[in-house]
Amino acid sequence: MADGRSGSKRSSADIDNSTQDSKRVKMAKGGDAKDSDRLNPYLAHHYEDDNNGQKNGFGGPLDKLQRHTTTAAQAAAAEDSDLNPWTGQPHSQRYFDILKTRRNLPVSKQRQEFLNMYHEKQILVFVGETGSGKTTQIPQYVLYDELPHLTGKLIACTQPRRVAAMSVAQRVANELDVELGEEVGYSIRFENKTGPKTLLKYMTDGQLLRESMHDHDMSRYGCIILDEAHERTLATDILMALLKQIAGRRKDLKIIVMSATLDAQKFQSYFYDAPLLAVPGRTHPVEIFYTPEPERDYVEAAVRTVLQIHATEPEGDILLFLTGEEEIEDACRRINLEVDDMIRESDAGPMKVYPLYGTLPPAQQQRIFDKAPEPIRPGGRPGRKCIVATNIAETSLTIDGIVYVVDPGFSKQKIYNPRSRVESLLVSPISKASAQQRAGRAGRTRPGKCFRLYTEKAFKKELIEQTYPEILRSNLSNTVLELKKLGVEDLVHFDLMDPPAPETMMRALEELNYLACLDDDGELTKLGSLASEFPLDPALAVMLISSPEFYCSNEILSITSLLSVPQIWVRPNSARKRADEMKQMFAHPDGDHLTLLNAYHAFKAAEQSGQDTKKWCHEHFLSFRHLTSADNVRAQLRRIMETNEIELMSTPFQDKDYYTNIRRALLAGFFMQVAMRESSNSKIYKTVKDDQLVMIHPSTVVSSPYDWVVYNEFVLTTKQYVRTVTNIRPEWLLEIAPVYYDLDTFEKGEIKSALTRITEKIRRRQAMKGGR
Amino acid sequence: MAEDSEEEDYMKMTFPDPSTSSLPQKETSLQRRLRLRREAEARSRPKSKAELLAEAESRLQQTHSQSLFSPSPSSSSTTAPKSKGLKMMAKMGFTGGSLGASSSKKDGLVEPIRVEVRDGREGIGLRSEKKRKLEEAMKARDEEVKKARVDEEGYRERVRREREDARLERLVWAAMGVAETMDSESRDRKVKTVPVVYRGLVRKREEVERKAREEKMGRGVGVVQATKTGLPTFDDPDEDADDRHALGRTVDDETEEYVVEEGDDEDVELDKFNALAPDERLRRVVEYLRDRHRYCFWCKYQYPDEDMLGCPGLTEEDHD
Repeated sequence: MADGRSGSKRSSADIDNSTQDSKRVKMAKGGDAKDSDRLNPYLAHHYEDDNNGQKNGFGGPLDKLQRHTTTAAQAAAAEDSDLNPWTGQPHSQRYFDILKTRRNLPVSKQRQEFLNMYHEKQILVFVGETGSGKTTQIPQYVLYDELPHLTGKLIACTQPRRVAAMSVAQRVANELDVELGEEVGYSIRFENKTGPKTLLKYMTDGQLLRESMHDHDMSRYGCIILDEAHERTLATDILMALLKQIAGRRKDLKIIVMSATLDAQKFQSYFYDAPLLAVPGRTHPVEIFYTPEPERDYVEAAVRTVLQIHATEPEGDILLFLTGEEEIEDACRRINLEVDDMIRESDAGPMKVYPLYGTLPPAQQQRIFDKAPEPIRPGGRPGRKCIVATNIAETSLTIDGIVYVVDPGFSKQKIYNPRSRVESLLVSPISKASAQQRAGRAGRTRPGKCFRLYTEKAFKKELIEQTYPEILRSNLSNTVLELKKLGVEDLVHFDLMDPPAPETMMRALEELNYLACLDDDGELTKLGSLASEFPLDPALAVMLISSPEFYCSNEILSITSLLSVPQIWVRPNSARKRADEMKQMFAHPDGDHLTLLNAYHAFKAAEQSGQDTKKWCHEHFLSFRHLTSADNVRAQLRRIMETNEIELMSTPFQDKDYYTNIRRALLAGFFMQVAMRESSNSKIYKTVKDDQLVMIHPSTVVSSPYDWVVYNEFVLTTKQYVRTVTNIRPEWLLEIAPVYYDLDTFEKGEIKSALTRITEKIRRRQAMKGGR
Repeated sequence: MAEDSEEEDYMKMTFPDPSTSSLPQKETSLQRRLRLRREAEARSRPKSKAELLAEAESRLQQTHSQSLFSPSPSSSSTTAPKSKGLKMMAKMGFTGGSLGASSSKKDGLVEPIRVEVRDGREGIGLRSEKKRKLEEAMKARDEEVKKARVDEEGYRERVRREREDARLERLVWAAMGVAETMDSESRDRKVKTVPVVYRGLVRKREEVERKAREEKMGRGVGVVQATKTGLPTFDDPDEDADDRHALGRTVDDETEEYVVEEGDDEDVELDKFNALAPDERLRRVVEYLRDRHRYCFWCKYQYPDEDMLGCPGLTEEDHD
């Protein structure tokens, strides 16, 4: 039971409510016994508490502690106290239950060692495998040492993922026996759950970065913990570079860089040879198997391998790594079908198959922690579970009981190339480091096996050593805008751990210049400064800011929100046709952006008419979760607009220009994402300036092919698609983005000729008007 | 639209500005007509989806291989102004190479990370394995093509050499004839001791003679064979030597001689000599004549003394 809980960061602590009453009594007694052993001052505070604990702010257990001198024993004593030192309220029984498990975590044994190092150094690197308890415990160790209630300086702990920030905050709030959002809170994009009492704040790395735009020295914080630094997200990399600078200015700021992998040396040398503290993980040996020949179809091979394990290997759960939702669902379906046959035909044990990917609803994600099924009949072959996951399962969460890992060697990775300006998620081979990490997942409970679906030669020759950090695989226009706002003048010599390609930087500056966020000298413009206020890509932000000029800021706000959440369209394999028919109900002939807007309006109308929106969404093949989240995003963005006095307005719906205005407004931000049809009978479009040949993604509602479209994204698979497109008129381009559409800057070609003809037409028309 | 104007262009036979055309200047009007027609056909035929996809992919790859810092050769560099982004970077002190603080600069990226799109669900290593196999096949084919081409180039040479060899061969026979004549003039020789340089000639003649004799004495041979196999023969016990002569039958010892001669065909020395290239054989025969008879095959003259004064040299070229 206890192990099951410690294994999962996501598992809710509610399980602890089921603790028997008898146990509670026993624990309370234990607590009393301990109390009697304690020194008198603690007891004194205990007695005082009933009347004036709250008056002192924080009474009792912490009084003996002195900032930056505490010992593990002192802190443990404070934790053992009957009174919650942070709220002044008595500790609940659940608190003591969790405390017991916490003390069993590997990291707990090194609390003193950690504190010694923490007291001595400004920056330190902490390495602990997933499951060592570092994410939940280290911030609490810091809490008992920093005593933020005395200094007013908070402790921040960053997470690369929103879900992690939320769930860890919840977990730690439970561990500290406080209300989430009070002493312990979280802050993620579009959601802030902190209050005036907050001392420990979990947040996404991106959120801390955004905060620092208004607080260049991060002066609100006494200690900043960068967790999961090994993931090397864009925001973590930028934060590391900023903190390296700030550390020089603010000697009182403590920085802890936490990583789950052992290649921490790079972090150490980057932070001026910071000391390292490593918590050994609980690992068992893992035997690794390779295939003799390369596989023709790795999904097929993976399914086969899983079934073979199920048929021949002893008890133990299976973890299969695949790349994305579609692939995972496909594999799950195939495994389930085959397992049914195996049970019928060869008396195999039962096997439960669970998918796991980011966009899966949390409740379904939680199911991976369910126990493996029991044998079909007593004494029958043991059951097992098989989890088919993306690389979420690689480092960021631990599932106990995994003994077999199947690794086809792929993950979906973002890739950006400044030469074509293509940014897309692409299935790519993982790195050697990732492969080792995946194999390690098999050795959590007992010695395990890892089946790699590639040859040993391919492992050695084809896999790169380390995964490229995100900063090398991303469009940096948003980052550059943020850095400009952060006051970083010299972007060229900015001390990043892995500086991006110069061409990527050049493109970012160029794009921001076209968007008028930077002037020709590279200085932040008023528009740029305003755009950086929005937690959005610059193109979206600029579109939103310009939307009042087109009398449709309400609508553009909705569209922006809808583009900031995952796809709202649900298209289950079992009901594709019906889903497509439903989508057609919302379809606007002029394009996908307008269709999104129609669906959102229908959703709001259903809400206002008092319908059960969840049911309504289900009936209309729309994602309730994503629509609600879009609604939430909209509210947040709206607040930012109001703060910055950006007027919210709409063209009357009856006006014939209602949709035209919206289409024009789209171009104010996305004029760099326009494509022209190659010829009148072609399905191929050519992107403006980048001259890439693309097709419109089959998910579009646009049936009659238009000559000019604005698109939201360039999707690279084996084909090249533009997704979410809307029909526009070329003369708008010349009018709305004259700098970008300065024909002198165009290379010879069909697009230039077409635009020249249009310029000519406009000129003639104007001349005629003038002549009249 | 564009197609129409191209068609019109073709009818008027107006030539495009050669500076804009990347085609070789040497194109004849006939070639040009053919090319234009081909191009027009290609344009009017809707491209297959596969072709379009391949085109799109190759376009992307081409773009990805072209640095933004060096203008592409196809672009008209006069109109494309230097990127404002680059200007801003230059202002920050960018002079090329990678970004980053001077300490980390050495291992920073200079080029963007390559974009590689994988086909469907191919496993890791499959593509490189395929590529390796394909490369091997290509290499093998290339070599074959190369070899064929070398042969083609060498055709004239080969023909020339064949002709030369045939000529030399004739000269060898002629020289051998001369040597035999001169030897027989100086002293008689038995076949067995014929010098190897013209033994071939003698052998050939003997063979021809033998064949002729065999033909002439076909029955005689038949008798021999018949006698050997013990089959009933025409042999008449009453026949005497004269009868046999009258019937055209050879004497027994003569028959015996043939058998011996046939066995003598195994002449290693001669075989070795014949295996030499014709020019070498000729050289040897010519040398033989000079050594033995002070005769120069090229001058066609027997010199009176060993010095062979007046002969320009050993080879044919010397006598040109």
